[in-house]
Parts: sequence; C-alpha cells; structure tokens
Amino acid sequence: MPSSSIAADGSPLGDLLRQLRSWSLVALPILFFLIFFAGPLLYLFVVSLLEPSQTELYGTNVTLQNYAKVLGDEFYLRIIQRTLLVGALVTGIALLIAYPVAMAIARMTPRWRIIAMIALMFPLMLSNVVRAYGWIAVLGRQGVVNTVLTQAEIIDAPLALLYSIEAVVLGLMTILLPYMIISIANSLTGLDRSYAEAAQSLGAGPLRTFIHVTWPLSSPGVAAGMQLVFFLTLSAYVTIALLGGPRFSLLVSMVYRSAMAFQWTFSAALAFVLLGVALGVGALIMLVLRPGRVQGRG
Amino acid sequence: MAAGEIDVRLENVSKSFDRVEAVKDVSVDIPRGQFFSLLGPSGCGKTTTLRLVAGFEHPSAGAIYIRGAAVTRVPPYRRDYSMVFQNFALFPHLTMAENVAFGLRMRRVPGPERARRAREALAMVKLEGLAERYPRQLSGGQQQRVALARALVVQPAVLLLDEPLGALDKKLREEMQVELRELQHRLGTTTLFVTHDQEEALTMSDRIAIMRDGVIEQIGQPREVYERPRTEFVASFLGVSNFFDGRITAAANGSATVDLGFGQAVLSHRGTVGEAVRFAVRPEKVRLGQISTGGFAAQVREIVYRGVTTHIYLDCHGNEVIVFLQNASSDALAWRIGDAVAFSWERDSAVVLDRG
Amino acid sequence: MIRLGHILQNTIAGIAFLLILGPTIVVVLVSFSSAETFTFPPPGLSLRWFVEFFQADNMTSAFLFSMRVGATSAVCATVLATLAARFVVRQRGVTSGLLQSLFTAPLVFPAIILGLALLLFYRTINFGGPGGLILAHVLIGMPYAFRLVLASLQSFNQTLEEAAQSLGAGPFRTFFLVTLPIIWPGVLSGGLFAFIVSFGELNVALFLTGPGYNTLPIEIFGYLQFPGRQLIIAAASTLQVAMIIVLALTIERLVGLARIGKS
Repeated sequence: MPSSSIAADGSPLGDLLRQLRSWSLVALPILFFLIFFAGPLLYLFVVSLLEPSQTELYGTNVTLQNYAKVLGDEFYLRIIQRTLLVGALVTGIALLIAYPVAMAIARMTPRWRIIAMIALMFPLMLSNVVRAYGWIAVLGRQGVVNTVLTQAEIIDAPLALLYSIEAVVLGLMTILLPYMIISIANSLTGLDRSYAEAAQSLGAGPLRTFIHVTWPLSSPGVAAGMQLVFFLTLSAYVTIALLGGPRFSLLVSMVYRSAMAFQWTFSAALAFVLLGVALGVGALIMLVLRPGRVQGRG
Repeated sequence: MAAGEIDVRLENVSKSFDRVEAVKDVSVDIPRGQFFSLLGPSGCGKTTTLRLVAGFEHPSAGAIYIRGAAVTRVPPYRRDYSMVFQNFALFPHLTMAENVAFGLRMRRVPGPERARRAREALAMVKLEGLAERYPRQLSGGQQQRVALARALVVQPAVLLLDEPLGALDKKLREEMQVELRELQHRLGTTTLFVTHDQEEALTMSDRIAIMRDGVIEQIGQPREVYERPRTEFVASFLGVSNFFDGRITAAANGSATVDLGFGQAVLSHRGTVGEAVRFAVRPEKVRLGQISTGGFAAQVREIVYRGVTTHIYLDCHGNEVIVFLQNASSDALAWRIGDAVAFSWERDSAVVLDRG
Repeated sequence: MIRLGHILQNTIAGIAFLLILGPTIVVVLVSFSSAETFTFPPPGLSLRWFVEFFQADNMTSAFLFSMRVGATSAVCATVLATLAARFVVRQRGVTSGLLQSLFTAPLVFPAIILGLALLLFYRTINFGGPGGLILAHVLIGMPYAFRLVLASLQSFNQTLEEAAQSLGAGPFRTFFLVTLPIIWPGVLSGGLFAFIVSFGELNVALFLTGPGYNTLPIEIFGYLQFPGRQLIIAAASTLQVAMIIVLALTIERLVGLARIGKS
C-alpha cells in the first residue's frame, strides 16, 4: 500500500506517524468530551467562585461568598441534612432488600437468572417520570392503596400518602432498587463457590461463612451499588418534586430553582456542594466496605 | 502410627445427580497415615467421591465415617478434615497469615496461639517471609503451599487434596509432588488425593484406587496396580500396554498355552482349553532381537527417540506392538525402519485381564 | 436452616419485584380505563385516553421531538462510541483505563450538575435550542453505546483484521468489510440503548428544553405538577412501556440484556 509505505519502515518517524494515525480517530470523541463535559464542568466551578451580577451571568471578582451562603445558612444546612437522610434511607433500605434478592438470583439456574435480569433491566429503561407516576397512581388520593383501604372500610377518608418524606424514600428506593440488585447479583454470581466451601472445610458455619467470606467478597458489588443509588438519589429532581410535593426540598431542588431564578453563581456553588456530598459519601462507602481488599489491596 | 485404625471409611456409597449415577456403590478404607489416591479420567466420579467425604455433596446411599464417627449427615464445617482446592481458593481479601489462621479462628483458638501456629505453618512450607502478602501477589507455587499450610495447621484427621497440582506447570508440579510427599511423611497425616495424572498418583501414593464411570476398578499399591492391572481400562489408563487376544489350546498346573494367530504364547493363568483370553504386556517388558534369536516375527514401522527411551513401533501381522528401549547403550538406536525383528517377553510379564 | 433462609430470600425477592414492577403495571392497566378520572380498578375498558393523547398537540409534538432527539443523538453517540472503543480496545494499562473512565464518566456523574453546567455554557456562547439538547444527549447516551461496542470488540477476534490486512485490505476496508459485519449486533444495541436513555432522560432535559422543544418526559412532568386529566399520562406511559418492550426484546435478541447488566 503506497499510503502506508512511510509508516511501514521501523524508523522512529514511522512509529510516530503510526501513533498519530491511531490517535487521530479517537481525537473526535476525546475532543467532544473535553468541550461538552470537562469544559462546562470546569467553567461551572469557576463561576461558583465569582460574584453574582445583576446584569451579566456573573461578576468579575473572585469570592467564596456563594459557598459561604450555602454553608453558613441554617436553612441550607437543614436541606443538606435532609438530603443526607433521604440518601441514607434510600441506599440503606435498598441494600437490605437487594442483598437477599441478589442471593436468590445467584442461586437460580442460568436461564431463570437471565429472566430475572431482564425483569430488572426493563424498568431501568423506562423514564423515571413514568415510574414516579406509577407511585402517584398507587399512593394518590384516588390511588390503589386508598381505594383498597376505603373499600375494606378500614379508613373513612383517603389518607394523604403522597407529598411526604416516606413517599419520596419509597419511590426513589424502588425506582433505583434494580441497580443495587443487579450490582450485587453480578458480584455474587461471579464468586467461585470454592471460597464458601473452603471456609466450611475450615470449620465456618453458614453465618460465619457469610460474615468472613461471602460478604467481604461481594463488597465490590455492594459498594458500586450503594454509590450508584446514592448518586442517583442526589440527582433525582423530578421524582422528588412529584412525590414530595412543591414544599419538599432537597439539595437538587435548590440547584434547579436557583438556576431557574438566574442566580447562576449561587446555583453553581450549590451544584458543587452537591458534588461534594456525593464524593464524600462515595469515599465513606469505600472506606467502610474496603472493596479493594478483594483485589488484594489492603 | 497405629496401624489398623481407619481414618476414612466409605461404605457402599452412591451418588446420583438428576438420575445420572456419578458414584456407584463405592467402598474404601483408608488407614491412619496412608496417602491414598483416587485416579481416573474426568467424569469418573473421583471428585464427587472427595466432595462426599468433604460434605459438599450428600450420598444417595451408603455411609461415610471419619475417624470412626458417622458423618454422613454432618455438615462440612463439623467434620474433622481440611482440604486443598483445585484453584487453591485462598481468600483474596485476607493476607497469607490471615488465610492460614482462618481455620484456627473458626475453632476459636486464642489470638496469640493462633498467630504462633500460623507462623509455624508458613515456616513449614518455607514462606514465613510472605505472611503479610495477599494471594494475588504470590506465584502459583507459593499459593499452593499457603493452601497446604492453611489445611494442615488445623491438624485434621484427614487431608483432602482436589487435584492441587493441576494448576501448576510441569516442572513446578514435579517439585511440589516431592515436597508434598515429604511433608505428608513427616506429619503422618492421612491423605485422600484426587488426580487424573497417573504419573502423579504413582509417585505420591501408598495406595491407589482407579475409578471409571463411578466404579472403583482396582485398588492396590502403585506397583501392584501398574504391574498387575486387572482390567484393560486399568492397563491402558496407567501407562501404556500392548494387548493380545488368543484362545487357550492347552492348560496345566497354572500355566496356559495360548494361540495368538501369529504364534503361541505361554501364560501364568489357570484357564480351560478353548477359553478366549486377553492379556497385556508393558512395552518396557518386551525384548527385541534379531530374527535368529527367536520370538514373534515383526517389522519395525516407526522409531521415536524420546531422550531417556526410544519407542519402537512394530507391525506384527497387522497388530501394532510398542517397545520401549532404554537408551543406556546405543543398542536401541541400531534399529532402522523396515528391519525384520523378533520380539518376546518373560512369562510373568504377561498379565491376563478380566473380560469386562 | 438453609432451607428457611432460601424461603425468606425468595419471599423478599417476590416483594422486591412487586415494588419495582407493580406501580408501572397499575399505570398500564388504568390507561385503558373508560373513566373520566383516575379510578382503580377501571370501571370499564376503552382506548379514549390514547385517542386524547394523539389529539393533544403538546403531547404529540413532544413525542415526535423526543423521537427525533433520541434518534439523532443515538446515531452520533454510536459513531463516537465506535471510534472510541476501537481505539481503547487496542490500548493496554493506564491509557485504556483512563480513556474508559473518561468515556463512561457521565454514567455516574450527577446529571443535574451536568445539565446546569451545559445550560450556563450554552448561555455564554449563545448556543442552545434543540441542537444543544441533542449534543447533551449524545454525551449521556455515549457511555452505554461505548460499553456495548467495547464489549463486542473485546470478544472480536483481532486476528481477523490482521488476516484482512495481510490480504491487502486497508484500515477502512478492513473495518467496513470485516470488523463491522461481525460486531454490528453490539453496535446496533449500543445505538438502541442510547436512544432509550435519551428518550427517558430528565435531569439534563430539565435545563435544556424550552417552549417549542420539550421532550415527552418533561411534558409529562409539567402536566403532573398541576392536577388535571392525568389519565392522558397513563396512556403516554403505556405507549412508552410498549416501545421499550419492543426495543428491549430487540437488544435481548442481538446481544442479551443480562450481559449488559454485567458491565
């Protein structure tokens, strides 16, 4: 091939050309990610450090006042607290339910395991607004629960089940539960059964086999599942707005509302506080579960 | 070691999976201190037998005893044994020292003693320097030794080995065979070893059981099963054999004359005239000479030089006969393809097989 | 004791699947209701809410706009993902790990922050409208397409490319005549997945949609914030369920959904 004759020889120049040509194709996706992902995020961070402005998008002076406003105001601190509470409840309850379900899936024959996995993947493909609407249909004033309870004459008037922290936690937990189950089930299915057998051969009963072997070996799946569920909870503005009602606010609601009110610098700071919460809790999960152990890194 | 004490006993044990019988009516006694091997091709039921002793499978019929205690219905973690797994199954989230101490921890051995014994066990396999490493950081051979230390540190009544050398390369495997054998001799731990490698079984064992299709075909000392195979399967699975078929033409005083079609052979065998027999002769027991030296006439078809030995393939009236010659002198190399030769064997080298 | 544990696990699994799938099943059931307002169980069956859905201009235009955004962004995401995956599959060690983290970063990154960042970025450079949303959805959909294409390239026998080149095919002909015909199920599934993700996406769309270019999920969200004839939403949801089932079955046929769950 004449076009490749330059690159064909083993000279350093030929090597360089070959390298350049292989990088040239990946340049497009990398550039795209730099311009539309890394760039805007960096820009947003810079904006979070600038003064607000009435006329422009942001002022020119560098300041920490946006962060001070978030972290110095008891109103916002309470919202951060509530965000952490909702995140912890959603993640914790999802873990408690997902682990036994994942164990049941890991025990299934491959055929049934695939069916279970499809049943878990399918709802994840639906828009969250549709799944949140499902909970409105179940918990609403004319919803399934109230209808059943009224007809069974357990209650006289419909209960206000929606627009509560319980509705938000239940909705988010069930919407995100498949992620947790899939993540744990994958790490349990991939576990060689000889680990559990080795523990038993050394005298560990079912409970101690679980504590000392199965649980630590599944920790990568547990950690990944917990992080994913917690991160998605932080972002789930629509679900929170629909099930919590207009007066229920978490961090994400404040990010959205301040942006819609054109408080760009403030909403940028809120966004990075939210990111800080995500990274902090993510790191805490890693610290407690130490999934790296499984790869033999202390 | 007190002879006569039986550490492992299987009594008419059978195991079926979905109507397929993996183990059929197996009975074995393993006395204290013995290195006992289950040898057979994959799917012969040897691993299932081991897992029955371990308690990971439950027999469909029969009874299992460890040190006299009936364990048939006892869960694995309450049986007095330990095991080295095929892939070692070292816990990846624990250090070597923690891996070795795991069984002691489960037995609630107090901390300081646990640490001391784990250290000693690692020293026993010459890995005391690697106590704080994780399994991934170790070579296959090192992992194998830690797995062995982990199993031995609890001083089990019986040590179960599930093809523990299968994952190692050939040279390392041969080193580990010797090391394992030495260690077992020194500690005197009763050992049940599963392997598909006949050389490994011959090298390591006090006694070998050869399994096929869930049934034990023959049990005996290595020399016994190699030299006196009872069935064609044993004769061909353990090493290489030449097989001959013939009909007895004369029989007297425990010897029989057999017509092979291309000649007559005399065997040590109590048979009746007219009986069809099949017997085996090991290739290294076959002698090769010039036509004039007497024996069955044949032609050299192929010569393969193998270093220690030379394999010579003969064509004897359409039957293939293999001869192994030691390369002690250059005699073996004197033959050429196409040479007319005569072969023979000592009478006791021919082993009459059960018709099966 | 082990038996009891298994029964407990299976019971919890049953409850979990009910919680996950139950509400959506209720929605699908009531979408065929003949009633004027939400009642469960429906007093009678009819297709009136589907008719109303297609007669509501804002709903149909949002539906069509979502289709357009989904299709355009899926095609772009798949092309970019294939370029990226082809490169990554040939790298080892640090380069491969770094690029994989880069291209899958939008999966775990809080999307609400990304939406805000893009909105501000677009405002600054005076860009936006449908194009801005499509580019954002390329970003959101690309990790899925990337993983699927990468997985099929990893199981693709690289010596086939060497064989084609030894027979005189250049890099382009090698890709289009040998590689693509073998990995197309992964590429197509990646595209379908990117479409599905775009079609249901909320967090970025919240910031980047506007009057005249609302996606269906945002239109539904707006509708649900005010009490009204909510059964039209049930019909919209049922249509989405039906579409996802068809696409999911296609992906299952092509590469197997369970395999995607693994990555």
